[in-house]
Amino acid sequence: MQEFDTVIGLEVHVQLNTESKIFCSCSTRFDNPANSNICPVCCGYPGVLPVFNKKALELAIRVALALGCKINKQIYFERKNYFYPDLPKNYQISQYKMPLGEKGSLKLPSGETIGITRVHLEEDAGKLIHKENYSLVDLNRTGTPLLEIVSEPDMVSPEEAFDYLTYLKLTLQYINASECNMERGSLRCDANISLKEKGAAKLGTKVELKNMNTFRGVRDALSHEEKRQAKVLVSGEKIFQETRLWDAKHQITEVMRTKEEAHDYRYFPEPDLLDFVVTDSAVNNEKKYIGELPLDKRERFLKEYKLPVTETDVIISERFLSSFFEEACKEFNEPKKICNLLLGPFLEQVNTFEEKFKAVKISAVNFAKIARYFSEGKINNLGVKKVLSLCIVTNSNVDEIIAKEGLLQVSGKEELDKFAKEAIAENPKVVKEYLGGKVQAIMFLVGTVMKKTKGKANPRVVKELLEKALKK
Amino acid sequence: MVDKKTVEYVANLARIEISLSEAEYLGIQLSKILDYIDKLKELDVDNVVPMRGMNMQNNIFRNDEVKECKVEEDILKNSPQREGNYFKIPKVIE
Amino acid sequence: MDNLINLSGREIAENIKNGELNDKEVYSFFKQRIKNSSRLNAFVEIYDEPIMGEGVSFLKGVPIAIKDNICIKGKKITCASKILATHTAVYDATVITRLKNAGLQIIGTANMDEFAFGSSTENSCYGPVKNPWDIERVPGGSSGGSAAAVAARLVPFALGSDTGGSIRQPAAFCGVVGFKPTYGRVSRYGLVAFGSSLDQIGPITTNFTDCAYLLNILCGFDEFDSTSAPLASEDFTQNLKEDIKGLKIGIPPEYFGKGLAPEVKAALTEMMELFKKNGAEFIDINLPHTEYAVATYYIIGSSEASSNLQRFDGIKYGLREPAANLKDVYVKTRGKGFGEEAKRRIFLGTYSLSSGYYDAYYVRALKVRNLIKKDFDEAFKKVDMILTPTSPTAAFKFGEKTTDPLSMYLSDIYTISVNLAGLPAVSFPCGFTKNNLPIGAQLIGKDFSENSLIKAGFSYQCWTDFHKRIPDLK
Repeated sequence: MQEFDTVIGLEVHVQLNTESKIFCSCSTRFDNPANSNICPVCCGYPGVLPVFNKKALELAIRVALALGCKINKQIYFERKNYFYPDLPKNYQISQYKMPLGEKGSLKLPSGETIGITRVHLEEDAGKLIHKENYSLVDLNRTGTPLLEIVSEPDMVSPEEAFDYLTYLKLTLQYINASECNMERGSLRCDANISLKEKGAAKLGTKVELKNMNTFRGVRDALSHEEKRQAKVLVSGEKIFQETRLWDAKHQITEVMRTKEEAHDYRYFPEPDLLDFVVTDSAVNNEKKYIGELPLDKRERFLKEYKLPVTETDVIISERFLSSFFEEACKEFNEPKKICNLLLGPFLEQVNTFEEKFKAVKISAVNFAKIARYFSEGKINNLGVKKVLSLCIVTNSNVDEIIAKEGLLQVSGKEELDKFAKEAIAENPKVVKEYLGGKVQAIMFLVGTVMKKTKGKANPRVVKELLEKALKK
Repeated sequence: MVDKKTVEYVANLARIEISLSEAEYLGIQLSKILDYIDKLKELDVDNVVPMRGMNMQNNIFRNDEVKECKVEEDILKNSPQREGNYFKIPKVIE
Repeated sequence: MDNLINLSGREIAENIKNGELNDKEVYSFFKQRIKNSSRLNAFVEIYDEPIMGEGVSFLKGVPIAIKDNICIKGKKITCASKILATHTAVYDATVITRLKNAGLQIIGTANMDEFAFGSSTENSCYGPVKNPWDIERVPGGSSGGSAAAVAARLVPFALGSDTGGSIRQPAAFCGVVGFKPTYGRVSRYGLVAFGSSLDQIGPITTNFTDCAYLLNILCGFDEFDSTSAPLASEDFTQNLKEDIKGLKIGIPPEYFGKGLAPEVKAALTEMMELFKKNGAEFIDINLPHTEYAVATYYIIGSSEASSNLQRFDGIKYGLREPAANLKDVYVKTRGKGFGEEAKRRIFLGTYSLSSGYYDAYYVRALKVRNLIKKDFDEAFKKVDMILTPTSPTAAFKFGEKTTDPLSMYLSDIYTISVNLAGLPAVSFPCGFTKNNLPIGAQLIGKDFSENSLIKAGFSYQCWTDFHKRIPDLK
């Protein structure tokens, strides 16, 4: 049986977080009605000229820095010429010979480092809607600022490609450069994959994969293609250099175009834009926004907070969660307890909000207070849920809410003893069962006491009291 | 000499339909013009920097502000065919 | 009223201001004059009512014609091409906004070579423009309609655009003042692009006074044009003084050699005598790469044009030839919509950018462009400006050069280097041939030295009256 090494490189496009388009003042909003975010410039009208959005350059510099790229001091745009109806000028303003950043890298949790060949700025195209006998064009997305991030062919498995995407996305989200939402199209990924004989230096023929809509889709498409290529090679046939489309429904790849029809893009420097000098001060300014990157944070969290890897990964997976967690721990230094509340009731509520973390108003300090109440047995699970639901989008005072809602647990033994005795007196049948050896029956009595205290009793204490009373 | 195949290749890149006689005629004219342009090969330009344009380092930017220009309807009205708020085009064949 | 044609634009504005004339009667006078001269074919569209802003300036109320490649909101813009014949502009070019803010009356659009490709205005889908001095002859191009209209006093002013001489050469052929400002002086926003690194809008007038006032309105930084120069605005009218003492003018032998018509040379020689008499000094300079300018220009200009014109595809605006699938819409629309010269340039440009030829043609041309620019830099160390003929000959006859594109291209040999180097230059009348055809002289200045050119040209017009001659339109 022949063995192969897999070689994978990814080409990722992310939409930069700007309000307006890269070369005109139209909005970049995602969900506006068709052809409403358009103007003569992004529609390629005769006579229009592009003017570069400063914010797009700033965010691109930030990404290049976070990926450890060498940043070119003087950059310029070029035109990539090809006819397509989603491209109103029939050329795309992009970067070719002089990209913003080159020779960077991204470290993965596995310890592997994936090289970044280049990052460059370009404008997005519009959207086509295909009908039976005709097509419709929506130019809302035309001119949205994109950053293309090209990796080296350094990945050796579909799983590694998945990790790369996960950490690339996290990095970009941490530095606030892109939403990286694949469903909304703010992150897109094409993959190149080839197989070579195990240990061989010479690379095999590569195939380009397109049309993956989720990270899992990228992984699945790569695994499928990995198997397909192996099968072809084992049977003694050749791999063709071609582009294949991933069909997520049927989990297969299909040929889109072969290399013979390759484009002649006639790149040349965009004469409507002059060079842009990337000044040291512009670069230094972006450094301020970078802070601790996700992988460093992960390693530090594992060391400092000693949580299990799975929990740590969940906390790291959202910049908001990680800093919220850390602030809460400063207030109440019980990482495990903070983590449990955070990943339990907190996330449960956040997931019901349409805006997710953006809707959260409660401060980490206030949240830590809830954790402390809970840990000291002053409020129970129900109480946690209640106070959280009242504070999470308001950041109201936790102490006041707990007092006002009467959420403090009743732990006073005398008071609870009275209720326990009542419960025993009211339920002779249950008592008899318990005394007859059915230990579980005591839970019914606990429930009765809870009802009597309107849920405020500390169930652990109630149980103890009942057991004591029934032993007599 | 710009041969017929080259003329066809360029016509396809430029998406311009030309008749057979046009192709021939354009080939001859382009060859003549390119012969003249070959004059540039007399010069030694190995150490010359290509000049992409004027005043190259101006760094003209715009701020990231949304401005509505409210000409969407005028733009759609100019289109040869529309359906609702979309530009309508014939079927795209790859 | 008939005297209006002997007044400068500035004088008309003065008369409107002091109540001698009103802007409505001025407008109808020129509108009627345009209609009476329709055989010149200088106009594409004449507006019944003027396009006019509320603004005030020293030129308020003066009618102006706009070359049909500059956008006027709500009006047709065709670039004299079938592919745009039905297109309506949805925004104002920056120069149009500026004219509106200055209160000029836009009277209509001027005929031109299709997409400004040409030197004779024979490449218009509306038919050629005729030279008002001899209707058997071309007015030059590509701003032939603009130059002919001003020469025939159909309108006091016109705007043109100049990519390789398209303002100056027709100004020379028609005997008017055509000014190409420094690249970046006037916003290109709203000018339908031909060669983006070469194009510049400029005024066509009968005299330098009008030219200076109009430049005051047109010039200035524009946030919509990244290539526009971020300079403080200048008052060009301050140099309307007869004063050239000590002026150093360069004479490049490369512009006075083989191919220059003797009559043109003689007119330039006489002009030099006048300048000398008034205190200027002539110095020989060299522009050794001049002979490579035409080849360089045709590569760069056509490459940029081939890309700029890709947007005309039948999808969003303009002509669409019906077809069953998208690719056929593209090839049929563009095959039918573009004229012969446009196709030739698109082919040349596409070819020189295509894989395998890019370095040999496009990159090499950019390098030679640098050499040409350096020639000028060297020359301007010794002189304040350079004097040359605008064109090797006076206006030629229709059809004379249409069968041989190369001979047509070579007729721009004296104007092209200026665009490659981005310099300001002006053509103005300096004599007439024995057949009563105007001869143009060209002054080329340093970057952003429009003021010096205006002073020199204004001085010359104080000593001569070539600019006051009006063609007989019978």
